[in-house]
Amino acid sequence: MGFAGLPLGTLLGIFGAAAALVAVFYILKLRRRAVPVPFSRIWDSVLRDKQATELFSKLRRVLSLLLQLALLALMVLALGDPKPKEDLRVGRHLVLLVDASASMKAVDVKPNRLAQAKAEATKIVRSMGASDRAIVVQMGSVPTPRSSMSADQTELLQAIAQVTASDTRADLEAGLSFGRDSLRGLPHGELVVIGDGAYGDASHLSELSQRVNLEGAEPRFVPIGKSGKNLSISEFSVRRYPLDKSRYEVMLEVANLNDTPADVELELSGDGVVVDVTRLKLGPNERLPRYYQDLAGASRTLTARIKAAPGSDDLPADDVAYALLPERRRARILLVTAGNTYLEATLLLDEYLDVAQIAPGAPLPEGKFDVAIFDGVAPPPSERIAAALYLNPPADGSPVPLGAALEDFGFDTWERKSPVLRFMSMGDIQVAKGHAFKPINGDKVLGASDHGAILVGGARAGHRFVALGFDPRDSDLVLRIAWPLFVLNTINAFVEEDTGYVSSFRTGDVWHIAVPGSLSTVTLLEPGGAKHAVPVSDGRAVFRGELAGFYKLSGGADDAPLGEFAANLSDLDESRIAPQKELVLAGKKASAVSVAQVSLRSEVWIYLLLAVIGISLIEWVTYHRRVTV
Amino acid sequence: MGLLELFRPKNAPRRAEARRAQLFDDDFQKKLESLSIVSRRVFAGRMRAERRSKKKGSGVEFADHRDYAPGDDFRSVDWSVYQRFGKLLVRLYEEEEDLSIYFIVDSSSSMTFGDGKKFDQARRLAAALAYVGLANLDRVTIVGATDSVISRMPTTRGKGRIFKVFEFLSELAPGGTTDLGDAMKMFVAQHKRRGLAVLISDLYDPAGFERGINTLRFNKFEPFVLHVVDQKEARPELKGDVRLYDCETGEEREVTVTDSLLDDMARAFDDYQKSIERFCTSRQVPYFAADVGIPFDELVLRVFRRGGFLR
Repeated sequence: MGFAGLPLGTLLGIFGAAAALVAVFYILKLRRRAVPVPFSRIWDSVLRDKQATELFSKLRRVLSLLLQLALLALMVLALGDPKPKEDLRVGRHLVLLVDASASMKAVDVKPNRLAQAKAEATKIVRSMGASDRAIVVQMGSVPTPRSSMSADQTELLQAIAQVTASDTRADLEAGLSFGRDSLRGLPHGELVVIGDGAYGDASHLSELSQRVNLEGAEPRFVPIGKSGKNLSISEFSVRRYPLDKSRYEVMLEVANLNDTPADVELELSGDGVVVDVTRLKLGPNERLPRYYQDLAGASRTLTARIKAAPGSDDLPADDVAYALLPERRRARILLVTAGNTYLEATLLLDEYLDVAQIAPGAPLPEGKFDVAIFDGVAPPPSERIAAALYLNPPADGSPVPLGAALEDFGFDTWERKSPVLRFMSMGDIQVAKGHAFKPINGDKVLGASDHGAILVGGARAGHRFVALGFDPRDSDLVLRIAWPLFVLNTINAFVEEDTGYVSSFRTGDVWHIAVPGSLSTVTLLEPGGAKHAVPVSDGRAVFRGELAGFYKLSGGADDAPLGEFAANLSDLDESRIAPQKELVLAGKKASAVSVAQVSLRSEVWIYLLLAVIGISLIEWVTYHRRVTV
Repeated sequence: MGLLELFRPKNAPRRAEARRAQLFDDDFQKKLESLSIVSRRVFAGRMRAERRSKKKGSGVEFADHRDYAPGDDFRSVDWSVYQRFGKLLVRLYEEEEDLSIYFIVDSSSSMTFGDGKKFDQARRLAAALAYVGLANLDRVTIVGATDSVISRMPTTRGKGRIFKVFEFLSELAPGGTTDLGDAMKMFVAQHKRRGLAVLISDLYDPAGFERGINTLRFNKFEPFVLHVVDQKEARPELKGDVRLYDCETGEEREVTVTDSLLDDMARAFDDYQKSIERFCTSRQVPYFAADVGIPFDELVLRVFRRGGFLR
């Protein structure tokens, strides 16, 4: 037996001081109350008879003191937290990485893999030694600690109960890094991965094994799962046709990840109504893409679902995919120009544009505008204009300060991935004259000549803008197919209806969701019903989603609906759910967690305090019943 | 008027007067009157002003014979006996005299223990019995005693002197330790005239209650013990660890009072009372326990009925 709490010397000191105090109080207690009696001789005769019991009475008083000292000793002993020798060894520090990826929703074990993983984690926690400590980490797309490094079994068990499966892949490397960092500086560290081991193909795992450094922590692995039969929708996407945005096409891919052929029934629903059912026959390990072309209709939400024969699909989570087609509405465009045929002609190309044209200096028409195009002018910004395209803005009022005047220049570099310049090649455009811009912080240079930026995007007071540093009519741009593309791309980028619209996000990624207006925070409603306040940065709400399904955005003073979007797992690697029986980490085979070496917990101090309470209770009862006085 | 008189609270005499008035109020005096009548009915024919004394002397009632001794009055020789038996015997007659009654009131501290009921009861008993005595034309003397005779009311007789008795008893100040042996020695030394000595006391005498009674007996007084008892003292309301001290002697005892100890105390108290009664009975000393819990008039009547107090 030894002490895990205060050392023996300190305990003796505390006991000495407290015992002295008890003795003083005891002596003070012995100063009895003085009571007069009329004739003490009668008392003498009584007390003479009691002489025989006097010794016992004195002994009882001494016993009372001894009892108090014993209570004190028990309490001081409890402070020392006495434990058996075997409990006093330096304990282990366990990081329990509980796999909470989508594959853990597989039902090849009952009720599912995650429930079994949590049961295994519970077993480990229950068998922890008195000096062992552990932390519970939910391992999804990002590791999420569910508890602190604690020896408190109750806290750890509650943390395990909080682990929930997501629709994301498990980032094993991030989980191991988190575990390693948690164990840094702690003795006897063990990284316990509790999962199905389906963390990518063999080469990926081998590479990971070589790359990861556990800094001395022992890798442990508790395998979960017994079979890996799965059929999944690995891709699902929808887009509008660039030239006819009233129609759209759908692409999806069904994958048979089994070694045997499978018959699948594919069902496509629009706004909850089945629009197509197809029977597919897939060979072993076959990925079968399907296209639905030239679709029209008012549907906004699209859902694809596969149904397979029982026993051939253990993971229902990837049998459903979601996509959302944005509503097609007319964008209100304000054209402020003294007259520009090229510009006016371009705006006629898109029948979904509602164009209002005014001369520079004229008052704004009624209502709000999605996009304003300022041709050679730069009036003061207005709250009624959500975004603006500036063509050759003057120095006074330009959203970007003007730099040097340029002559005979062109686009030497440009952002090919920018939606503004999609499908465009800017290299051979010749410009006679113009100005360079001096972008300020946050501005993005979309195109530049060797002498400076000539196409800049950004935001001012929450309003997005694109500024072109020259008059298109002073270049051959207006004669090229790039000109209408540039204008329409810019408008589409502003109104979020570009042809590169993302019909669904991938779970586990950080999403940047376009938010109209100048809100700094929006509310996001998850498919499960949970609500989150999401910050908006640069006109986009930033959020890492982990559930597949339809999300709703709302915000503003009246929490008005701002939009909707979909999210899918769409991860073929995560759909490969064949469980691994062993795991090699940092070049070392992760062994099983040894329970036998763990001693039973023995919290002696609890029993000591219980004894103190019990004895005090007995003393209290006997005192008030005048047994011990 | 002395200097001290100036500093004496002006209401002090009034308080004493009030106390006296409370102790011997009109009700009390009426009760005494009725008790006197009752006592006369109880002891009808025997209660007369003249008492037959044991002294042989010049009375008219024959008492006894004794042998003639030279010097005796020839007139007292019983010649008829000489004629019949041939012996010279002298006729003895009972001498008639009034009875002296002494009321010895214990004035020690123990009599005022608690709420002082014992001392009040003792004084009321003394006053009542003195009234009966005075009404019967007996010579009544009252003394206060602790370990000595601390005060004395001169001998008096006649019913009209009862207010003197009240005054004396009212002004009797309690205090001091009990030593009945020494006090009775002083009493008998001060009172040569023998008579009935009514000892009214709680008999809490550390030296033993027997000494005082024996002193009276041995000096030819006829002791009558009125034992003032307060049953509350038999079972005091105590609990736990206490330090007991004697209210007279200051002696201390450390005691842990429990229910069983209180039971023992009650038994010891009872034993002490019985030992007094046994002592008195065995020595033919009239004994009466006057419990402060019993109403006064009922108590006095019991005393009369007990007999022996008045002959």
